[in-house]
Amino acid sequence: MLDHCIKCNICTNACPVAAVSDRFPGPKYVGPQAQRFRRVGQPVPDAAVDYCSGCRICNLVCPTGVPIAELNARARAQMVAERGLPLRNWLIAHTDLIGRLSAGPQAPLVNALLGWAGTRWLAEQCLGIHRHAPLPRATRYPFRARKQPRLGRGKQVVYFHGCATRAYEPHVGAAALAVLARQGYEVLVPPQNCCGLPLLSNGDFAAARRAHMANVRHLWPYVQAGVPIVGTSTSCTLTLKEEAPELLDLHSHEVQAVAAATYDIFEFLRHLAERGELCDAVRPLEQELPYHMPCQYRAHRIGQPVVDVLSMIPGLRLKLSPAASCCGIAGTYGLKREKYALAQAVGRPLFSFITQTGSSLALCDSETCRWQISHATGVATKHPIELLAEAYEL
Amino acid sequence: MHYDTIIIGAGLAGLSAALRRAALGERVLVLAKGYGASGWTAGCVDVWAAGDAPLSALATLVRSRPQHPYALVGLEALQRGLEWVRTLAAAAGYPLVGGWERGLRLPTALGALRSTCLVPLTMVAGESRQLADGPLLIAGLRELRDFFPPLIAENLRAQGYAATGCYLQMPPGERQRECTPLHVAQCFEQAHVRANIGQQLRTHVRQGGYRRIGLPGVLGLHQAPAVVAELQALSGALIFEIPTLPTSVPGLRLFHVFEQAALAAGVRMQVGGWVVRAEAEGQQLVAVYSRAAAREQRHSARRWVLATGGMLGGGLRSDAHGHIIETALGLPVAKPYSRAEWFDPLLFAPGGHPIFQAGIAVDPQLRPLDAEGRVVYENVAVVGGALAHYDELREGCREGVALATGYGEEQKNR
Amino acid sequence: MPYETEVLIIGGGATGLGCALDLALRGIGCILVEKGDLASGTTGRYHGLLHSGGRYVTSDPQSARECARENVILRRIMPHCLEDTSGVFVVTPWDDADYADQFVANCHAAGVAVQELPLAELQRRESLLNRAISRAFELHDGSADSFLAARSLALAVESAGARIFSYHQLERLIRMGDRVVAGVVTDRRSGEQQRIDCAYVLNASGAWAGRVAALAGVQLTLVAGKGTMVAMNHRMVNTVVNRCKYPADGDIIVPIHTVAVLGTTDLHVPDPDHYGIEAHEVALLLAEGEKLIPGLSRYRALRAWAGVRPLYQDSGQRGGADRAIPRTFKLLDHRERDGVAGLISLVGGKWTTYRLMAEEAVNLVAQRLGKLQPCRTAHEVLPVPATEHRAHLPPLRGAAARYGAQTEHKATWPINGLAQPWGQNEIQGLDADYYYLGQHLGAVEQSQAAGDLICECELVTRARVLTALEQGIHTLDDIRRTLRVGMGPCQGGWCVYRTAALLYEVQQTQAQDAPIDPNMALRDFLQARWKGALPILWGDQLRQARLDEQIYVGLLGVDLIADS
Repeated sequence: MLDHCIKCNICTNACPVAAVSDRFPGPKYVGPQAQRFRRVGQPVPDAAVDYCSGCRICNLVCPTGVPIAELNARARAQMVAERGLPLRNWLIAHTDLIGRLSAGPQAPLVNALLGWAGTRWLAEQCLGIHRHAPLPRATRYPFRARKQPRLGRGKQVVYFHGCATRAYEPHVGAAALAVLARQGYEVLVPPQNCCGLPLLSNGDFAAARRAHMANVRHLWPYVQAGVPIVGTSTSCTLTLKEEAPELLDLHSHEVQAVAAATYDIFEFLRHLAERGELCDAVRPLEQELPYHMPCQYRAHRIGQPVVDVLSMIPGLRLKLSPAASCCGIAGTYGLKREKYALAQAVGRPLFSFITQTGSSLALCDSETCRWQISHATGVATKHPIELLAEAYEL
Repeated sequence: MHYDTIIIGAGLAGLSAALRRAALGERVLVLAKGYGASGWTAGCVDVWAAGDAPLSALATLVRSRPQHPYALVGLEALQRGLEWVRTLAAAAGYPLVGGWERGLRLPTALGALRSTCLVPLTMVAGESRQLADGPLLIAGLRELRDFFPPLIAENLRAQGYAATGCYLQMPPGERQRECTPLHVAQCFEQAHVRANIGQQLRTHVRQGGYRRIGLPGVLGLHQAPAVVAELQALSGALIFEIPTLPTSVPGLRLFHVFEQAALAAGVRMQVGGWVVRAEAEGQQLVAVYSRAAAREQRHSARRWVLATGGMLGGGLRSDAHGHIIETALGLPVAKPYSRAEWFDPLLFAPGGHPIFQAGIAVDPQLRPLDAEGRVVYENVAVVGGALAHYDELREGCREGVALATGYGEEQKNR
Repeated sequence: MPYETEVLIIGGGATGLGCALDLALRGIGCILVEKGDLASGTTGRYHGLLHSGGRYVTSDPQSARECARENVILRRIMPHCLEDTSGVFVVTPWDDADYADQFVANCHAAGVAVQELPLAELQRRESLLNRAISRAFELHDGSADSFLAARSLALAVESAGARIFSYHQLERLIRMGDRVVAGVVTDRRSGEQQRIDCAYVLNASGAWAGRVAALAGVQLTLVAGKGTMVAMNHRMVNTVVNRCKYPADGDIIVPIHTVAVLGTTDLHVPDPDHYGIEAHEVALLLAEGEKLIPGLSRYRALRAWAGVRPLYQDSGQRGGADRAIPRTFKLLDHRERDGVAGLISLVGGKWTTYRLMAEEAVNLVAQRLGKLQPCRTAHEVLPVPATEHRAHLPPLRGAAARYGAQTEHKATWPINGLAQPWGQNEIQGLDADYYYLGQHLGAVEQSQAAGDLICECELVTRARVLTALEQGIHTLDDIRRTLRVGMGPCQGGWCVYRTAALLYEVQQTQAQDAPIDPNMALRDFLQARWKGALPILWGDQLRQARLDEQIYVGLLGVDLIADS
């Protein structure tokens, strides 16, 4: 795979981290170039690879098809296997656990605690989580499907909500359920756990493997029955589709089938539209909104499904963020003390694009990107599915 | 999603075709595996490398080599393409100057003088005819590892120009490590960097009486002509850029002119959309499939433009056994008969290497042909580097052919 | 004024340099002349195997014994040139399964350490190897940087007071009656001729030994056995992998630095200076490689090259294949053999046994000269050249400890009684450990020099290039051999332009007798790389070649510049 690299520097020029920091020598260097000097069983001698945020822009722009971000993720995992996972990274990588601990009746307390500057200062000193890093507010009422239909014959779909919808943004899940129901689907929400992406991007491949295999076990009966899996978190769906199987070398029939049955929700809706099955009874929304397509969504390499689907809403005009712009957060990357400022610098072109639109609302599919954008610009953010739900008057 | 035209490849040829068709109101999608070879060029428009009078050389060419892309589309198409690109670039605030009647020669980062036809405003003061009008300074930055003023100056002196080379100091506070050309270009977008460099240049001009200063092609990414104008005002000498190694900033700028125009014209661009196979009905291409996470994505359209480039762009690929494949649609490839004929033993053999003339043979409508000369797909046009029977690099006609075929494609396939 | 010395050594490969060091350490004066750069002949053109001896246990047990002994010694004296890769001999479905037990028995007989490796362990270590391999044996093979070893030897030689003239062509050997008394050499840079008077001429010119002998009127016939090799873009294996069979073409893969080398073929060539690489040789190496690593030909090959083995066969033993010619070396005293005194030729052998060859040759010379000091080369640790810029990294777990290599001998350098003590730079040699793959990556990280790499593929910093240039390395090819500039995937696409420009800048600051034209150097270097790339240009490497052409023709106009 690294053999394809012809050293042309296109990736280095597109890399949002290398653009703002001397500390990251760029994707060509830490990827296909450094990889020739790494060897399993010997320590990874270049800690610089840890500054890769995993945004995968390098993969997209590479004209020769080198999966650079994967090379970097593997090198980081080798480093973690060698040196161990720091407590901070362990904590922020276990989003599922943290979400379960904070969401529920105790949420107001947790939020108050995390909202207090003293706690944040302590967390920065003791854990290395930056005191200004955008942390979500836990919900009192974690997302859960009200009534659970049985796996059956009709038009059914499985909803993969991800950790964030459950613990912090149940309204995104509600919108997704409503929009899918509007298309005539019964929505199943089987047990599920973290997709494993935060574990992958922090280099804990062993835990990520456990998380992914558990999801495959949970989802396999539905996939076997021909029910598609639809998610609102673009990074979760990407992990189920590709990241986990590829990085963890999981290629069993079940893993492949789950991957092949997984859709981002707008990708799924676009398929319906192409077959003429998408409900087009939408009310006009006279709005011009900035829309940022997250890096993890671009990494699906399926074009711009949100733009395609929302184009049926009369009056709605989407202003697309600049090509290859990144908010900088990269999941857990921008929370870390040593990377917070860097992540903010990475996001600056995107933030100024959003503020320049003058809009009080921005659209973005990925939860951590939304938090980062709101944190940096003060502009409210929504998942596009919420806007579609509004257009359906749901 | 269904499109009127899908273009495979996001180099100058593909984007020219996209812009032309979008201007006619078509729904256009550009699918590209990654960013293309345009960033690896000097950012000029090369039309024909031979001598001072490309136009008359081309008039001979189209008679003597009827299979050459210029001969197939005709010189009018080239002329229209050149006029159009000048308009396009000027509208983007990045004017191109020159023409095909009289070739231009500009210094390279080795101090050679390279032929081209249209150059950005930021380079024009380096044109060889004016270069001899007085002492000349070549200045660079040590942090930039692709630009060496002493050697450039030495080679220019050997050709009779009164050139001196020097290094400037990177303004304090700016990046001292990881200085890729693009990063330095971003530095030049800051006023204090321009002021500092301008002051250093001013000192050199006072001491050496230089009339012209050659700098690496890193003088800003978005506002390059303004950066050059400001440095000229500060230094009191004419400034010109010399393009650096891939990925070069002038190459990126020209690409951005096309990319921004395409996005503004409503062209949908899907970078990372790596086309791997085609679906056809008879002689009609119906759909292509691009690689995506977990499964391929299908794209359908009425018309298709293949603009994936040649061996460099990635449109053609060879294997150890002497096979050459066209990577997106699997079209038949016209190529030298056996591997033994692919290369000249001398790297710099004047005629280049036969393998790099391999490509897709087309009819005058640019439709792909098989070995027997039959049209493979009636609704596909092949443009740019993927075409057979020419060597864009050795003949110095990369952008010329890209424009003539890319912009001219639509007129052949209404 | 003619130079005067006791021994004139012809040939700047490992053997010649080894002889020079041995002589110098015994206090015998010597001058070494080499027609090109050091290690530019066969020494620098082999696959880089540090033999355990396993390859020869059946065909040539004496060689095997010598290799096994020298292997231990080299690990002690030049660990910085060696990577402790270990080696496996594997039985594939194409090999005679019965040979394996015989192989083990032969190893024991020849004193070559061997142990059977469980297949599960083999697969854990080398996941790309053919799953159909039925048995595997581990031996103490390694890989060796013969360029670095040559430079380390040269440093030691010069510090011990002997002189080395590279780029000096031997024109004549002068005889007085039946004795060789002097050589005449031409400085290939300045064109000046120089006579060197000597008591003995030591002919260590490898495949060229016949030509040197002929200058003294002695007939010496060597078989020049061309071995072709292919370097792959990255290391598919980290262990030396041999087929467990009687040595044959294409039966070995050596991981060295960032590449894996497929070796070798064996073809007679009439002239060691002029030979080509045939398409069928490359095809054979890839096809044989497939048997070890399925899918190997889909990986990217970087280049192909060949070296010529100096195979010597005593008259009367003629006939049979090259591989049947013993790989052990021969010391030819031309006084006994041809009645010409003052000339000794060293022929045959292999890189791993260079030191032993030198020791035996010098024993003979010393005895003739009446010098009685014993050989010390087995114990003197060689210095590390300053261009290495080694990082001080945490020690590798388990890797180097196995042979207890240098610890007990570290203190023996500097050598007592030497005229010139070691400089500060050379003292670094004391801390030397085995080379390991991540070494340069770690060093670049430590010095934060990623943005200042001249050769990005092989991680060569500007500081190292400048050190090399300031130390008097002049041609781009010398820099390649010294630092690996231009040996990576891009094959000189970016780095050679940068290096040529730095060469020009350094030359401007130093007074040079015969400055090198950077434009010509650039073109010559690229042409030489092109020649090596041609046999394997397809796929990614062809695309790379086109990008390089875009750089040199499309952007720089190298073809438009006249030589100055």
